[in-house]
This record gives sequence, structure tokens and C-alpha cells, in this order.
Amino acid sequence: MASPQTVPCVNINDEFVQIVSLNVKQGDFVKNGDVVGTVETDKSLIDVAVEQDGYVLRIDCAPEQKARVGSVMFWLGAAADEPVPEVISTDAEARNAAGRPTAKARAMLKELNLDPARIPASGERLTAADIEDWLARTGKTGPAAALPSPSTRTEDSPTVSGELLELSAEAAGMLHTVTWHRDHAAAAYLELEYDPKPWEELAAHYATQQKLMLSPLLPLMAFRLAALARERTLINSTIVNARRFQYRPVNLGFTVQVGEMLYLTVVRETQDMDAGQFIAALGEVQRHAMAHKLPPQEASGATLSFSSMARWNVSRHIPILPPQTSLIVAHAAPKTSGKAVLGATYDHRVLTGFDVTQVLLALSRPLIPGMTGTYHPESTY
Amino acid sequence: MNLNRNEIKTALHAKVVELAQALDMDASEVTDDDILPATGLLDSNAILELVVWFEAAYDFPISQEEINIDNLGSINAMADFLLSRKG
Repeated sequence: MASPQTVPCVNINDEFVQIVSLNVKQGDFVKNGDVVGTVETDKSLIDVAVEQDGYVLRIDCAPEQKARVGSVMFWLGAAADEPVPEVISTDAEARNAAGRPTAKARAMLKELNLDPARIPASGERLTAADIEDWLARTGKTGPAAALPSPSTRTEDSPTVSGELLELSAEAAGMLHTVTWHRDHAAAAYLELEYDPKPWEELAAHYATQQKLMLSPLLPLMAFRLAALARERTLINSTIVNARRFQYRPVNLGFTVQVGEMLYLTVVRETQDMDAGQFIAALGEVQRHAMAHKLPPQEASGATLSFSSMARWNVSRHIPILPPQTSLIVAHAAPKTSGKAVLGATYDHRVLTGFDVTQVLLALSRPLIPGMTGTYHPESTY
Repeated sequence: MNLNRNEIKTALHAKVVELAQALDMDASEVTDDDILPATGLLDSNAILELVVWFEAAYDFPISQEEINIDNLGSINAMADFLLSRKG
């Protein structure tokens, strides 16, 4: 069965990327991990690695094209003559979109930062209805389902004079994330205070034992959260078309602020790691983010997330849910209060307040899964 | 890129001050021998930013295992580490 290789997400704030190069052609055989092209945003240039072995059946994009994250770059199959599913190709779209957009369609394209060449027109002109149909179609059945389309609700212009400005790619990406949170999740938030000292002592003990230069406090807390997902699988799932989608891997999202850029970095397959491996993997991912060189597999696919704003000394932090996840834990630790806060934004379609409270209570107790040694955190209670 | 020891240390000092400033901290009086993680002026994220900047500025890769106090704990240690690799 043909499988799509989709446009990778460079970071959570970029809804579109520029195809810089694509070095395969129809009929080529590629192997999992082969680098076949590059894409870029304003901030980063990353390689595109193939995600499985197979023959290139059809290519749906071209260099210099601006492409939506999650849309199909090309199709792969086990045999070179496999049929490709019936979706509208870029060529077909380009032919159909020959008609100019109507004024209302132009406004909608501008508002949603869409490329008209990708949207087929039903008549001589591309209409707002055509755009709405395309959004609904790709959002429900197309490869872009992984990244649902922004809302098509239109708003009246303000009565005060001003001008409409284009969103940056980062702002458009953030709009996409916030729109998923608003339109799909039943988002709720709760938090609890906890005494940060036992966790700090455990992290200091671990750092000494492992001769670490950097505090492992936040990585250890994130690792504990990932381990909790193995016991409480509900937190590692989401709702898709009124059914629960249980993720197999635990891919831990971890926010990294680099200058003005906010990345949701991802450590994949954490269920197979011990604490040391997780800390090393997260360190690598953080360094890639700080160099603005996150490969796609480290910038997408989070199934559960952890975010801390302790370094900014904030007392409360209510994060937006990353698309198609049900829980993001928010850590805050105001320096002068002596208290720390674990908050959680969660999707109430999947989790109840009780579920989340149990997770936060467990997370507030210092524990390194799989660690053996002389330190007994429970004795601090 | 000049690999004069004093110039390396001056550049490192300026970067430490800049990173601390982003956290609303004043690191202008940090000395070349101060253990940076122990000063409280830079958190783990900022120290990692310093390491990433150091790699890029002097074009030498640092492995995860090399991020330790002996190699990167102070401005002097960082300058020594760089010069031992490229000097």
C-alpha cells in the first residue's frame, strides 16, 4: 500500500516551509533514513530523511515551492507499480487553480496564509466556498489530517482605520496550534503546589553521582512524566473522529525557548530509555534547537509534553495543547516563594480532572524510574 | 577566528554577560576561574546556549560526554579546552 512522505515540521511555529531541493525521481528506490532533500524556514534549513524503504511512486511537490507542513511530498510503495491513492496532485491543483480568486477568496487566502495554487477551483474563479471545501477535505481525509486546517470563520474588519498585515510563518504556525486547541480539544487546566526541595535534592544527588555539569532537574521531571505514561496510558492518547487514538511510543515534547523562538522539541521512543539515556537524548535535542538545526524527527510527533517557565520566575503558566495530544504539564517555580507549581492543560475529552490530579501528584514526588542507589526520596516526606 | 587566549576569554566573558542579562542577572564581575554553574548567574538552558555558541564561534564540535566541569566549567577551562583541541 502506498505511503505518503509528508512535508516535515521544522518547528511548532512554522505552518509552511520552502522546498529547497528534492533529489529523487519517480521510480527511484530509497531506504529508511536516506536524505533526499532539504526544506527551510526563515530560521532553519533541515534535511528531509525518508521514513521507510520503498519506490518513489509519485512526487507531489517541487523545489522553490512553499509547502504546508504535513502535506504530501511524494508517495512510496513496496513495488514500483503500486497505485497511488486518489488525492489531488499538485499538477492537477495547479491546472484547476488557473482561475483568479474572487475578492472574498483573496481575503480568505490572505487571512489563512494559503497558497492559491494548491487549491482547486470548481469554476472559472477560485471562490471562498472552494477554499472552505478544500480545507474541510484536507482536514478530514487528506494527508494534512495530522495538522488540521485553521478555522475558516471570517471576522468583520474593525471600524477603526488600519491595515491588514501578513502573519509571519511562525505566527501562522502558532495560529494553527491555538486553533486546534480551540476547535478540537476540550481544554481544561488545573494545578497544584508542591515542595520543590525533595526534587532538587534528588537532582543534585543524581548530578553528583553521574558527574553532570548541568542540573538534571527538569529532564528528570520530564523523564518521570514519560514513565508515568507507561503506567497511565490514557495520558498518551488523543481523540480522532470520536474514537480514542492510543499512541504506541511515548514521544516526549519539551519546550525550548531560543531567543524569540519557541520550539517544541521531541525525544522519541522514551519508553525504551533509562534516565541517563533520556537526559543525553534531551541534551542533544536542546542543542540542535539552540543552533536552529532541529531535524524533523526532533520537531514533530510529540504524544505528551512538558514545559517549564521556572527560568523566567513566573508563578503560573497555562500552556496551549500541542495538536493531537491530551496533556502538557507546565512547571513553574518562583524563586522567592519557596514553593513550586505543577500545572496541566489537558483535553477533557480524554482525561478527567481526577486523572490529571493523580498524574501531577505522582510527578510531584521525586522518583527516578529504574534508578537504584542509596538515595531514598520517600524518606524526605 | 583568532585563537589568542585573551581574546577567547574576552569573547566568552561577553557572551556570559549577554546570556545572564537575558535572565535579568548581572554577570559583569564574573571571573575567569568562577565555576559558571555554581555562580547562579546562568541556568542550565543558558549554559547550554553558551556551549552551542562556543561550538559555532570556534567551529569545533563538542560531544555530549565532553560537557563537564573539567572542560567547560569556567571561562579558563573553556579557553584551555579549545586551545587543547585547536591550538
